[in-house]
Amino acid sequence: MTETLTVDPPPPHGGSLAHQALVYGSDDEFLAATVPFCLDGLEQGDAVLAVTTLRNTDLLHQALDGASAHIEFADADEWYRTPGRTLGDYYRYVDRLTGTGGHRRVRVIGEPVWTSRDALETAEWTRYEAAINVAFADCPAWIVCPYDTRVLPEGVVADARRTHPVIEVAATVLPSDHYVAPTAEGGWRRPLQPLGTDDGGIVMRFGTDLSAVRAEVAESAARMGLSEDGIRRLVFAVNEVATNAVQHGGGAGELVVRRAGRRVVCDVTSSGDNDSDWYVGYLPPDPQRQSGHGMWVVRQLCDLLEVHTGQNSTTVRLHVGLG
Amino acid sequence: MDHGDHLCLAFADDDEQRRVVTAYVSAGIERGERVMYFADQCTPAEVLGWLSEAGVDPGPALKTGQLVVTTADETYLAAGSFDADDMVTVLRREVRESLAGGYTGFRVSGEMGWALRAVPGADRLGEYETKVNSVFAGQKASAICQYDARRFTSTQLDGFDRCHPGAVEAQPLHDDGTLRLLPSFHEGHRALRVAGSVDHRTTHALAAALDAALTWPGDIRVDMTELEFIDLAGVRVLSRRAAGLEPGRRLHVVELAPLLCQVITMVGFDETPALVVTPRRATA
Repeated sequence: MTETLTVDPPPPHGGSLAHQALVYGSDDEFLAATVPFCLDGLEQGDAVLAVTTLRNTDLLHQALDGASAHIEFADADEWYRTPGRTLGDYYRYVDRLTGTGGHRRVRVIGEPVWTSRDALETAEWTRYEAAINVAFADCPAWIVCPYDTRVLPEGVVADARRTHPVIEVAATVLPSDHYVAPTAEGGWRRPLQPLGTDDGGIVMRFGTDLSAVRAEVAESAARMGLSEDGIRRLVFAVNEVATNAVQHGGGAGELVVRRAGRRVVCDVTSSGDNDSDWYVGYLPPDPQRQSGHGMWVVRQLCDLLEVHTGQNSTTVRLHVGLG
Repeated sequence: MDHGDHLCLAFADDDEQRRVVTAYVSAGIERGERVMYFADQCTPAEVLGWLSEAGVDPGPALKTGQLVVTTADETYLAAGSFDADDMVTVLRREVRESLAGGYTGFRVSGEMGWALRAVPGADRLGEYETKVNSVFAGQKASAICQYDARRFTSTQLDGFDRCHPGAVEAQPLHDDGTLRLLPSFHEGHRALRVAGSVDHRTTHALAAALDAALTWPGDIRVDMTELEFIDLAGVRVLSRRAAGLEPGRRLHVVELAPLLCQVITMVGFDETPALVVTPRRATA
């Protein structure tokens, strides 16, 4: 039966990451791609993680039979909470399994959650899918992201072709014609959208004394109804971004705090030539390095994070949900 | 130091003991309080010498009886044993008589090293320390009990420390109004206490204080009970110092807020084997 299990090896596209979208429209199509992917992985000694819907998890359990005991399953709704945390979780999983876990490679079925996302969340989860290509570029990981055409909006499926270098449709695996690399000039940059704010909010200039910034964020966020935990996360994150502004962005910056819908949103703007990539903070940190961990932590503490570099300034927009 | 205080002075260097004793005794004399000192490791002459060197002439106070510097052996241990109840009675009487004699208050300090010798009744020291709280509470009287941390075990030290309503604070290694870094004790172990906020302006102060703490023997403890804020650069200082310790030594960060424990894991600092982080106990 092994001949039916052959799967195309990960197509070379630089680094050791293979990241492909699986566009499927039926249970059979889902299983035809994922079952061999899992079995072949187990045969080769890869660690296999399946993060998908409860329905697809059931399908996989039945189709894989006893082999599913060797696969780690996670519920997509639990796993895909915020882009920063999810990427951090994936990174730690790969690191653990290929490090002390002793596996040569990790295979992941990662089915993101798209339903019940608002426009901003959809845009940021799309950028997350794009960021994976640079964040995991050097990781021994083979990631297959299923997209279910039965339930997903056309736009989301179309975006999968922009975010994945390789695409699998109806048992055919091909490089995507529409792939846009994270580093592509202008490809993933997107100006910050105007916010429909419910609250006048506050604006303050700051210099090197960040205690004033922390106090203002804590006070405003509390007034806007953010939880204690949310306030602590936001204060820590804003302080990191403001520290960057003070140390690398001209010694000063501007803070705007306001409530927009079900989120508290902080903009930290600094001037100077702080030319940050839009995916800053998605690149895993090296604990040995002297700096550069800040934005990685900020991404994971915030529910959404947008980084926009303009002509002479950089704005980091931090969102924390009111829960 | 206020009236009613009964404080524990745990010290691990002689200068610290000398500084606290000199300040406590001389302030008592200056305020017109009656002062009793029970020496043990030190001699009464040494203690009086500290006062003289600090510019306080103990002569007049000794002559009038305002100041008494003696030893535990010659007074409450003279019978060869320690009687906790007798001692409480004696102190009550001293407080009463001092105030009746026109003094503005009463203060007493004792070196407690005798408790480590085979003195009958010494096992009741903890009980005594607890009882004595009522002698000072609400009175124009105070006490400092001195425990040399180099001689008592951490378990003993922690036990005695808990009998006291408060502790004498050491001189801060850093204090700028926002951040105070001070040598202290946590559960009987020497600790660097971090009180206030660490951010980009004070990272260097934390690093310098940690370097000072690293000269202490054994494991290093950093007590975050009174930490209000620390940024990632501050956390990195802790991680780097831990990573630089010689094999066998560890840096314990205790009572750290749960969010910061998460941050340490996010960055991978938790993979530094010499860094041991204990989360703050939930207070809610």
